Amino acid sequence: MAGLVEMVSVCFGGVALAQTGYPAEMHRLTLDHYMVVSAVMFAIGLIGFLTRRNLIIMFLCTELMFQASGIALVALGRYHLDFTGQTFVIFVLTVAAAEAAMALALVVLLFRRRESLDAEEWSELNG
Amino acid sequence: MVADMLAWVPSFAGSVAAMAQHGAEAVRGAAQEAASHGPAVEAAGAGVGGIALPGMGSKLYGLIPLLPLLGCAVCGLLAALKVKSKLPAWMTVVLLGASFILTAVMFNDVSVKGHGAPVVSHLFEWIRVHWGMGERATSLVANFAFYIDSLTCLWMLFVTGLGTLIALYASEYMSHDVGAGYCRFFAAFNLFVFSMACLVMGDNLLLLYLGWEGVGLCSYLLIGYFYKKPSAVAAAKKAFIVNRIGDLGLALGVMLAFVHFGSLEYSVIFEKAGPYIAAMKAGRLEEIPAIVQLIPVLLMVGAFGKSAQLPLYVWLPDAMEGPTPVSALIHAATMVTAGVYLVARAYPLFLLSEIALPIVAWTGALTALLAATIGMAQFDIKRIMAYSTVSQLGYMFAGLGVLTSAGAGFHVFTHAFFKAMLFLSCGAVMHGFAGQLDLRKLSGVGKVPGWRIVSMAMLVGCLNLAGFPVITAGYWSKDMILGGAFANPHMQAIGWILLVTAGLTAYYTFRVYFRVFAGPVEYEPGDELHAHGDDGHGHDGHAPEGRATTGHASEGHATSEHFHPHAPGWAINTVLAVLAVSAFAVIGLRFIGGHEGWAADMVEQSTARYEGAAAYEMAGGHAAGSGHAGASGHALFFGFDAHKAMMVVSGIVGLIGIAAAFYLHYAGRTTAARAKADALLPAMGPVAGWAQHKWYVDELYDFLIVKPLWVLSNIFHLIDKLLVDGLVNVLGWIPRAMGGVLRPSQSGLLHNYAVGMAGGIALLLLIVVLVTRS
Amino acid sequence: MMERVTYLYPEIALFITTCIVMIVGLSRELKHRKLCAPISGLGLLAAGVLATGLVPGFHVATGAEVDPTAGQILLPNLVPYAKVLVAGVGILLLLLQAGTVDRVEEARIASGRAAFNPLRSNRAEYYAFFLFSLTGLMLCASADDLIWLFLALELTSLPTYIMVTMSTSRHSSQEAGVKYFFLGALGAAVFLYGFTLLYGATGSTNLNQIHHAIAAGGLSGLSLAGMLLALLGVCFKIAAVPMHFYTADVYQGAASSVSAFLAFVPKTAGFIAILLLASCAGWTHGAGDSLPDALRTVLWVIAALTMTVGNVLAIWQNSVKRILAYSSIAHSGYMLVGVVAGPGGGTFATSGIAAVLFYLLCYGVMNIGTFGVLACLEGRAGADGEPAEIESLDDLRGLCQRHPVLGWTMVICTLSLLGLPPLLGFFGKVPLFTSAISAGEIPLVVVLGLNSAIAAFYYLRIVGSCLLEKPETTTGIVRVTPFGSRPAGALASAAGVIVLAIFGNGFMAASEKAAAYDGGHVEKKEPRAAGVPETAPQALGPAKAEGH
Repeated sequence: MAGLVEMVSVCFGGVALAQTGYPAEMHRLTLDHYMVVSAVMFAIGLIGFLTRRNLIIMFLCTELMFQASGIALVALGRYHLDFTGQTFVIFVLTVAAAEAAMALALVVLLFRRRESLDAEEWSELNG
Repeated sequence: MVADMLAWVPSFAGSVAAMAQHGAEAVRGAAQEAASHGPAVEAAGAGVGGIALPGMGSKLYGLIPLLPLLGCAVCGLLAALKVKSKLPAWMTVVLLGASFILTAVMFNDVSVKGHGAPVVSHLFEWIRVHWGMGERATSLVANFAFYIDSLTCLWMLFVTGLGTLIALYASEYMSHDVGAGYCRFFAAFNLFVFSMACLVMGDNLLLLYLGWEGVGLCSYLLIGYFYKKPSAVAAAKKAFIVNRIGDLGLALGVMLAFVHFGSLEYSVIFEKAGPYIAAMKAGRLEEIPAIVQLIPVLLMVGAFGKSAQLPLYVWLPDAMEGPTPVSALIHAATMVTAGVYLVARAYPLFLLSEIALPIVAWTGALTALLAATIGMAQFDIKRIMAYSTVSQLGYMFAGLGVLTSAGAGFHVFTHAFFKAMLFLSCGAVMHGFAGQLDLRKLSGVGKVPGWRIVSMAMLVGCLNLAGFPVITAGYWSKDMILGGAFANPHMQAIGWILLVTAGLTAYYTFRVYFRVFAGPVEYEPGDELHAHGDDGHGHDGHAPEGRATTGHASEGHATSEHFHPHAPGWAINTVLAVLAVSAFAVIGLRFIGGHEGWAADMVEQSTARYEGAAAYEMAGGHAAGSGHAGASGHALFFGFDAHKAMMVVSGIVGLIGIAAAFYLHYAGRTTAARAKADALLPAMGPVAGWAQHKWYVDELYDFLIVKPLWVLSNIFHLIDKLLVDGLVNVLGWIPRAMGGVLRPSQSGLLHNYAVGMAGGIALLLLIVVLVTRS
Repeated sequence: MMERVTYLYPEIALFITTCIVMIVGLSRELKHRKLCAPISGLGLLAAGVLATGLVPGFHVATGAEVDPTAGQILLPNLVPYAKVLVAGVGILLLLLQAGTVDRVEEARIASGRAAFNPLRSNRAEYYAFFLFSLTGLMLCASADDLIWLFLALELTSLPTYIMVTMSTSRHSSQEAGVKYFFLGALGAAVFLYGFTLLYGATGSTNLNQIHHAIAAGGLSGLSLAGMLLALLGVCFKIAAVPMHFYTADVYQGAASSVSAFLAFVPKTAGFIAILLLASCAGWTHGAGDSLPDALRTVLWVIAALTMTVGNVLAIWQNSVKRILAYSSIAHSGYMLVGVVAGPGGGTFATSGIAAVLFYLLCYGVMNIGTFGVLACLEGRAGADGEPAEIESLDDLRGLCQRHPVLGWTMVICTLSLLGLPPLLGFFGKVPLFTSAISAGEIPLVVVLGLNSAIAAFYYLRIVGSCLLEKPETTTGIVRVTPFGSRPAGALASAAGVIVLAIFGNGFMAASEKAAAYDGGHVEKKEPRAAGVPETAPQALGPAKAEGH
C-alpha cells in the first residue's frame, strides 16, 4: 500500500503548483493538497474494502473511493479553470447514488437469505 | 472466407516484405513474372517438335482417363448404397470399353493419320507456382495435360483393351463377393486404369508421378483385397514398402530433372536436353554434366521398383495374393510395365548416361535368369507365372538396355496379351478347383468336361511364353530382343544369358502345361472348398471351412465323388477365347508396317526412338531400332547376321525346353504328384532346394534389412516411450501444475479477490515504475 | 446539436424499446407480458439497422463527420461496426433469455394458484436491464469523452449486477451477484480514479484532446498513472489479470443465459474502452509503431498472464460453466494481443485493432453457442419449482447421442473456441497472430501459440464428453428446456460459426474498415502545450475517413 501512496505522490511531483491568477487563499492551499487528500481517501477506501467484512461497510468504502475521485475532479477543474471537472463530479455522484440503491437492495436480499452481512458467508463458489 | 484467408497470406507476406523496403518492387515483379511467364512457356511448348495445336478433338482424349475415374466414383457410390448386384462390373466393362474405343480413335488420329507426331491435349491447369525474381525466377508448371504420341497409344491400347476384357472376366470371377466387396474391387480397378492412364498419358513428370503413386496405391488395395487374410495383408504391405524404395528414386529423379531443366514437361525437358543429345551424337560424352547422367539412374531405380527388377523384385510373387484378375491386369500386363514405359519415355535422357543403359541391360538379364531358375522349382502355378512375369520384364529391360527399344516395346505388347491369358487361365483353374494351385495336385484338367477353352487358352499362352517358333507372337518379340543383344558387340554376354533364360522359360512354362492340363485326370480341391451348391465354390481368401474331402484319384483318372470342379462360365470363356485369338493376331503386327513391324514403328515414332548415337556407333554399337540392321558395326553371331541367326537359334532353344518338359513331366506320368523330373532331384543336390526357396533372397533381405531395421525401430520405440513421451508428459504436466498452484487464488472469498486485484494493480504499477526508471 | 443526435439513433431506438418493454411487462395479460422479448428483439433489430446508416432519413454520422469536438476521431469508423455487432449478438443473446426470470411465478399464475402481482413480477425489469446494458454498450462505442465513457461503462455494468442476482433463486446466484457487484464497484473506482488523473494531466476529458495533449507532451507521470489505472480498472470488464478473480464464480453462479451475456457484453464494452484509451496514448510513440513503452509493457504482461492463468485454471475444472468462464479469461488475453499489436499496416492481416474487433464477433457467436447449449438443458426441479442448472461435465456425457442437435452445437462451438480450422474461431485467431507478428511481438505470439495448445486440454474434454462418452443413465435426469427460443439461439450460433467461417469476408472487411486508426499522422506536426483545451483541434479533420 505504501508503494501505491509513494507512486501517487511521485506522479504529482511533476505538476506545477498553481497557475497564476489564483485567489490569494489558494496560495496556501495548492492543488497538491487536494490531490493528496484525494489519494489518501482513495487509499483509506481501498484498505477499508480489503479489511472489513461487513458488506455495508465495504460498500461505504467503495463510496469513499468514488468520492476521492470527486474531490480530485473538483480541484483539478479549478486548476484547469474549466467546468468539466465539476460536471464530471455530478455524474459521478449520480452513478454513486445508483450504486448505493443497488447495494442496499442487494444487502437486504442477502440479509434475508443468511441473516448475516459477513462477506465470508458467501464463498460456496470457488476453485 | 477460406479464399480470403489465402488472400491474406500474400498480403501479409507482402507487408512484411514492404518493411524490408524491397517489398513493393518484389511483389510487383513477381506478379509480372507470373503474368508473362505462363504464355511464354506454352508458346515454347507449342514450338517444340511441331506439336499439333490442341484442338477440340484432342480434348476428347481426356475422357480416356476420366471415364474410369467416373467409374471409380460411381462404384464408391454403389458401395455406399449397398448395391448387391453385378452392376459395378457391367458399368466398368462399359466405361472401360468406351475408353478403349476412344483410345482406338486416338491411335487412329495420332499414330495412323498423324504418323506419330505428338499431340498435347490440355485439360486444365493443375499446378502453377512462381517464385524468385529476375534471373532466379522459377516457375513450377504442371498441367493436367496429355502428351500423346505413338508410345502412349501403344501402351494405352493394351491398358484399356485388356482392362475391358479383364473387367469382364472379373465380373464372373468375383461373383462370390457380390456386394460391398464387389463394389470395392471395381472401384479400385477403375481407379487403377485412371492412374495408369495418367501415368502413360501425362505430359509432365509430375502427372506421371501421380499416376505412378496411384497405380501403386491401387496395387496395394487390390493385393490386400482379402484383407482378412494375413498373408494378403502382408503381401500388400510388402509390395507397398518395396515400391516406396523405388518411388524414392523416381521422386529424386523427377526433382533433379526439375532442378536441372527447370521444367517437368517432357517437351521442355527434351528440348533443353537437345545440346546434350547433340554432344552425345558427336561422341563427346564428357560434355554432359554428371547431374544429367544421374537423372536416368535415379529414374531407373523407380522403374526397377515398379517393374520388379533386381533387387526390388521380391514383392511381385507375393502380390499373387490378390484376386487373379488383378494379377493378370496389374501384376502381369500393365502396371509392371510402367517401369519399361518410363525408360522408353525418358530414353533420350538414358542415352545421355554412360552407365544407365548398361545397368538396365545387366539388371534385366540377371533378373530374367534368376526369376526363371526360381520359376522352374516352384509348384504353385500362379507363382510360376509371377516369376515368369519378373523374368519377361527382365527381358524387356534387357531389350531397352541393349538399344532395341523397338523389340522391348513389341515384347511389352505381346507379353501383355499372353501373360494376361496365362493368368486368367490359371485363375479359371483356381476358381474351378477351390483355390487349388499346386501342380502336384492337379492333372489332366484339359480333359475334364467344360475346360476345353481354358486348356486351349493355356496352351496358346504357354506356346507364346515359351517362344514356340513362327506361330507365336512371343517368339517374334523375344527374337527381336535376343537379336538386338547379340547384334550389340558389348552385349554378347547378355545375349547368352537371355538365350539360356529362353530355354529355361520354355521348360518351366510347359512343365505347368504338361502337369496341370495334360496327363491323367486327377485333382484335389484346394482348401477353400465350400458346401456344394450353385455358388458353393470359393477360392482366394475365403476362410478355410475345414478341409473338404479330397477328390482322391482312384485308379489314376477318377474324379472325386464329392468334389465337382466348377467349370468356367461364359464370361471367362469368352475373354479367354478373345485373348487367344488376339495373341495369334498380334503375330501379324510383326509383318505389317516397317522393317521390324508395327510395334517397332510405334516406338520409332516416339521419344523412345533410338537415334543412332555416334557415341555408341563409334564404339561399334548397333542401331537396332532404326531399321538399319546389318549396318556397319553390326556384330555377328558365329558368322551369321545376329537377327537372322536368332530366328533359328531361339526357336531351337525354345523347342528344346518344351521337349525337356515333355519328357520330364508328361511322358509316362501316371499320377499328378510324381513325374520323371523328380528322379533328377537327387542328382542336383541342394541346388533344386535353393531354387525352390527362391535362392533365399527373402530370407537374405530379412536378415540384412528387415531385422536390423526391426531392432533399430525397437530401440527408437524405447527412446520414444521413455524420452519423448516423458518429455511430452512433463510438458503436459506443466500447465496442470501451474493451474494447481494458481487454484488457491480462486478461494471464493470476496476479500481474497479484492486483495488479489489491489495487489495485482500495485505490482503492475511497480513494474511500470521500474520500466520507466530504468 | 442535432448532429450529436444523429450519432445516437440506435441508442435512442433501444431506449424507446426499453420504455415500452417496461410498461408491457407489467400488463395483467400473459399474452401482453409475453411480448417483452419480441419487442426487445424488434428494438435491437431497429437499432442494428439504424446503426448501418442505410435507412433513408436516418443517416448516422460517424465521428468523422461530426465536428472534432463531438465524435471521437481516433477510431472514426468504429461506431457503426460496434453497434451492428452489438445489435446482432444482442438478438442471439435475447433468444437465450426466455424463461430466465419469473418461471415459477408464471407457472403459479397459469395454474391459478396466484394472481398476477406486478410487485412479484420481474419480467419487465429483466428485459429492461438487458436492453439498458446493451444501450450502455452501444454508448461505449460512441464515446468521445471520459465522462461519457464512464457513464456508458457504468450503464453497461450496473444492470448486469442485477441480472446475475435475479437470474436464479439459488444461493449461488446471490453469491455471484454480491461478488460481482462489490468487485465491480472496486474496479469502477479504480478506472474512475484513472479518468480523474487523466483529466488532471491533460486538462480535458475529450478523448481527441487527451490524445493531442499526450502526443504533444508525451506521457507525463500523471497521465501515465491515470492511463494505467483506467486500463486496469477496465480490465475488470474484460476479466483480465489481475481483475479476473470474480469471473469463474460469477459465471458459475449466474444462469447460463446470463453467463453468456456476461461473457460478451461487459467484455465488448471493456475492449472498446481499452481501444479508445489506448488510441489516446497512440501506437506511434515507442520504438517502431507501438504503444508507449510503459503501457506496452503492462498490456503485454496482462495479455500473457491473462491467457495463461485462464487456461491453466480451466484445466482443473469439472464444471463446464467454470471451464467456459476461465476460457473467457483466456480469450480476453488473446484479444489483448491485438491491442498490443496496434493498427499496424491497417490491413486486416496486420491490424491488431481489426483483429480484436473481428474476434469480438467470433467470440460472441461461438460463446453464445456453448452457453446456449447449457441454457437449453436443465436438471430436476428444486423445492421452489425451479429446475437446476446444468454445469457438470458429467451432465454432458453422450449429449450427441441423447440430443444430437444440442450435442453437435456444443461440439462445433467448443472446437471453434479451440480455434480448430475451418471453424470461425480459427479465422478469428489467425489475424491476432499475423498482426502480432507484423508488429514484431514474437514472444507474445509464442505465448499465444502455447496457450492455444494448452486450451486443447479442456476444450477437448468437453468435446469428448459430448461426443465419445456413453450417456449416463444413473445420474440425474437432464432434460431439454421447454423454452424453444433457447435451442434456436444455440443453433443459430452454431450455424453462425460455420456460415461466418465461409462467408465472413464482409465482416472482415467491415472490421478492417472499423479499425482505421487516425492517430498516427498528425500529432507530431502540431506541438501543443499540455492543458490548453480552448483551441479545438480543427486541423485534425480526418482525411482518410469515409462517411458511414
